[in-house]
Amino acid sequence: MQTKENKAQWILLLAVFVIATCGLIYELVAGTLASYLLGDSVTQFSTIIGAYLFSMGIGSFLSKYLGGNLLQWFVRIELMVGFIGGFSSPLLFIVFPLANSFQIILYTLVGITGVLVGLEIPLLMRILEHKVEFKELVSRVFTFDYIGALLASLIFPLLLVPQLGLIRTSLFFGILNIGVGWYLLHYFSAELKRAALLKLTAVFLLLIELVAFVFSEKILKYSETMAFNDQIIYAVSSPYQRIVLTRNKRELRLFLNGNLQFSSADEYRYHEALVHPALSSVTKPSNVLVLGGGDGLAVREILKYQTVKNITLVDLDPEMTKLFKSQSVLLKLNKESLLNKKVKIINQDAFIWLRENQQKFDAIIIDFPDPSSFSVGKLYSTLFYQLVRTAIKTEGIIVIQSTSPYVAPKSFWCIDQTLKSVGFFTRPYHNYVPSFGEWGYIIATPAEKEISFHSLPSGLKFLDSATLEQLFIFPEDMRTKAELQLNKLNNQALVHYFEEEWSKYLE
Amino acid sequence: MNRRDFIQYSVAATGISTIVASCKPENKIKGSILGASFSVGHLLRDKQFSSPSSVEVKQVAIIGSGVSGLTAARQLRQQGIEGMVVLELEKRIGGNATNGENLISAYPLGAHYVPIPNNDLKEYLNFLKSANVITAFTKEGLPIYNESFLCFDPEERLYINGKWQEGLIPQYGVPVNDLQEIERFLQQMQEFRLAKGRDGKDAFSIPTNHSSEDPDFIKLDALTMKEWMVHKGFTSEYLHWYVNYCTRDDFGTPYHICSAWAGIHYFAGRKGKAANADYSDVLTWPEGNGFLIRELSKDLHDYIRTETLVTKVVKESDHVIVQYYDVKSKVLREIKAEQCILAIPQFVAVRLLKDNSRIETVKANFQYAPWMVANIVTDEVEERSGQPLSWDNVIYGSESLGYVDATHQLLQQHTVKKNLTYYLPLTKMNPVDERNQAQNKKHEEWVKQIISELKLVHPNIESAVKEINITLWGHAMVQPVPGMIHGNLRKELARSIGNSIHFAHTDISGISIFEEAFYQGLEAAKKVIQYVGQ
Ligand SMILES: Cc1cc2nc3c(=O)[nH]c(=O)nc-3n(C[C@H](O)[C@H](O)[C@H](O)COP(=O)(O)OP(=O)(O)OC[C@H]3O[C@@H](n4cnc5c(N)ncnc54)[C@H](O)[C@@H]3O)c2cc1C
Repeated sequence: MQTKENKAQWILLLAVFVIATCGLIYELVAGTLASYLLGDSVTQFSTIIGAYLFSMGIGSFLSKYLGGNLLQWFVRIELMVGFIGGFSSPLLFIVFPLANSFQIILYTLVGITGVLVGLEIPLLMRILEHKVEFKELVSRVFTFDYIGALLASLIFPLLLVPQLGLIRTSLFFGILNIGVGWYLLHYFSAELKRAALLKLTAVFLLLIELVAFVFSEKILKYSETMAFNDQIIYAVSSPYQRIVLTRNKRELRLFLNGNLQFSSADEYRYHEALVHPALSSVTKPSNVLVLGGGDGLAVREILKYQTVKNITLVDLDPEMTKLFKSQSVLLKLNKESLLNKKVKIINQDAFIWLRENQQKFDAIIIDFPDPSSFSVGKLYSTLFYQLVRTAIKTEGIIVIQSTSPYVAPKSFWCIDQTLKSVGFFTRPYHNYVPSFGEWGYIIATPAEKEISFHSLPSGLKFLDSATLEQLFIFPEDMRTKAELQLNKLNNQALVHYFEEEWSKYLE
Repeated sequence: MNRRDFIQYSVAATGISTIVASCKPENKIKGSILGASFSVGHLLRDKQFSSPSSVEVKQVAIIGSGVSGLTAARQLRQQGIEGMVVLELEKRIGGNATNGENLISAYPLGAHYVPIPNNDLKEYLNFLKSANVITAFTKEGLPIYNESFLCFDPEERLYINGKWQEGLIPQYGVPVNDLQEIERFLQQMQEFRLAKGRDGKDAFSIPTNHSSEDPDFIKLDALTMKEWMVHKGFTSEYLHWYVNYCTRDDFGTPYHICSAWAGIHYFAGRKGKAANADYSDVLTWPEGNGFLIRELSKDLHDYIRTETLVTKVVKESDHVIVQYYDVKSKVLREIKAEQCILAIPQFVAVRLLKDNSRIETVKANFQYAPWMVANIVTDEVEERSGQPLSWDNVIYGSESLGYVDATHQLLQQHTVKKNLTYYLPLTKMNPVDERNQAQNKKHEEWVKQIISELKLVHPNIESAVKEINITLWGHAMVQPVPGMIHGNLRKELARSIGNSIHFAHTDISGISIFEEAFYQGLEAAKKVIQYVGQ
């Protein structure tokens, strides 16, 4: 009898240990996720830990209201923690696109887990109250509790995140939690009422977590995580594209359909080079049109010109502009440019919008994705540029991101020729963007025009007037001798060049 | 062949995918059968009409608002003829070139493209100019085509040997000997394309009536395309499939029935030159030739009466009596016209004329192929490897001609849903049996047939498809069998009756294409101008 009692005591203490580990793991997962997704890890971690500890306090307080079969309660709570904690990180990943409601869900989850974990220690102490001497009890329970915490905080960064990733870590501990619950059920079945029903629940929960665990691995295999080295902090499929944001210690990156759009580490090089050569050459620009560029980064640069009164941004995908209007890390990056009063956002196809457009602009910044598919290729065609011509003032200036003249010279010069064929005068240039390599842009004007960069804003990180002059020099390896076709809707020559050149480069 | 291709190929070859798929419960796909108003048309055959309840006097009555009827009406209108009426039995004008529309886009119900026109077709080029299909002419007189209407790239793809290849001429996985033979065939077609007869005319021209009468070429109308190929030593199975595909595509006629002259004309008739397009390029619109119908009928709305079934056309001393059944008010009406153009197929025309010997002649000599056209509304479908979704998508060896994507010619970058138009000339049995079978087929049966074919290339098609609407063209086009084009019958039937009843329809040009219909209408209008008001 004595040994049986003893064994029971140690099993319960072991449960404390597991619970403590699991509890802290859920908290760490939530904290990590929040700082991945929302940025600013100090704030995220400290608020999550605060909220968690506070909820544990609430749980401890509430424990006095629980009576009757305490062991029964203990097992129930064990199962609940396993379920809620286990699914916390997959759930948070899924709900992240909900933008504002994300924080509410995050703290609710942290709160619930905290309360449940908080209930457990007092409950356990009451269960063992008459079986162990009080000073022994307190000492043992807390020892196990804190050792568990230590273990969690060590294995989480060293083993779990690198090996399992966040989603599977939380599911793994959910499974562990429920496993312990199930074992307790098994061991104490004689002392429990309706043990069979509880057991069934435990098995059921265990199963769905296992399925989720296996399935998550499968999804991960096929989804971005394999393709992206960094942690994915946001992923959504709009009807138009797959938007993925990743983050590592150094930078934040945006991928559209798996193609890198920018890295926060060096996007300023790209966006300064895209916007300023053109815009600084316009005398007092007032009305500016941006086609594509739903990230608001080009707009951020345009807003550096005091004379600019209106910026019209036409981007196909409402998901993109919504994202860059609402997520805190992204707002920090684009300096809330899309929330600026001067900016009007239109979520429409640029081709269709231009066809209906009556306005004329001082400058047009064209920042479309690379012509890697027939559907995007349309936006680099003769017909499209003819429409662009109708939207620019005679004195105005246009600039087009035009892929890499180093990797894809035929593509780059094809865009140049296509622009010329509809009557534009062009000034191609390029700069170095570490994430992309050598990158190319083309300035196009309806009339022959001296470009002088007379109003370059101050405080740029990359461009100054001396650097600017050099951008227009093309060494031989960024030119092509091939005879090039114009890019038209009925030949999509550019898409063919692009595919040929980039696939060779990536081989 | 890489590993992925191999797996796809072997799965397709063993038919595993179909077996696997057929185990799943079927998804009920909605839609209906639209058919060119059979019930109304059959009134003509079955109903006894009483006497007309109203009589009107008109200068000209045009029966039919297909391309030929509308072209005639447009021409007359431009010549200042106001006392004109166009009678059309359907709700929509356009005949075989009509179109439908839904929230995604417009889409064709029949004819869907025209090739780059030959440069000697002045009137046709002028029409295209007025429709802004041609934006300008170069100094040398070459047309510049509107780039929104030249078929966007990627234009065509063929699913063959487990992969989508670019273009419709079999290439991928085709043995070298066959490739050489295909090359030789195309070379020969190129020679025909440039050939001129001893009379100095092009051997193969559009309209066909402009072609050379040189016996060296005319004799090709005495044998079938298949016979000609065999005679010339063309044996490649791939080539035979391709040529048969072509004659079924343009004429609804398998190559073993189709005249060799007509078959060669498919390859040799096109000679169009343009500043920004090639003779082999095509012009197309989301709504197909419905675009051209809209342009043709621009100023004609006051003259067109739809849902009017013409039941009788008889010549009286100095006028023509045209009786028609007004479907909406269900009464018979009469028009006394000075001149009448029958821009309808001969099998209908003869019934209106009540001429028994003509009825017999047409019945004995004109074979009309029935077609089934399906308009498929679908979410994005799963794709096999190779060239991505194109405008025209054909599956090697299948019974249908594949499908055309109506949203391809939209300017916007991306459409989430698609309108696919699937074409199936019904040519397995003789036309009469095919027609009967088609008319008795239920919607589910068509759907099943279409889905089981498309599953080969789009494994998830069944769940992606939202709606399929079937259009049956009972008498879609006359088959250019040997003797049809260069025999005398066609010319005899085309001859006007007593300087007041004229014929204009593609079935009397022998080849059913837009330009033929256009010139049929134009020629009839010229005759009318000659006699009207005399
Ligand atoms: C499925 C299909 C696909 C095709 N695709 C192409 C293509 O891609 N390109 C191309 O160039 N050609 C195509 N064609 C050929 C097409 O038939 C011709 O291009 C052209 O549209 C024929 O015009 P039409 O005026 O000669 O005849 P129709 O289009 O047959 O016009 C005759 C009109 O007369 C009406 N009518 C008949 N009887 C009566 C009556 N008793 N009273 C009143 N009205 C009547 C009919 O309803 C119809 O509107 C296609 C044909 C079909 C069937």
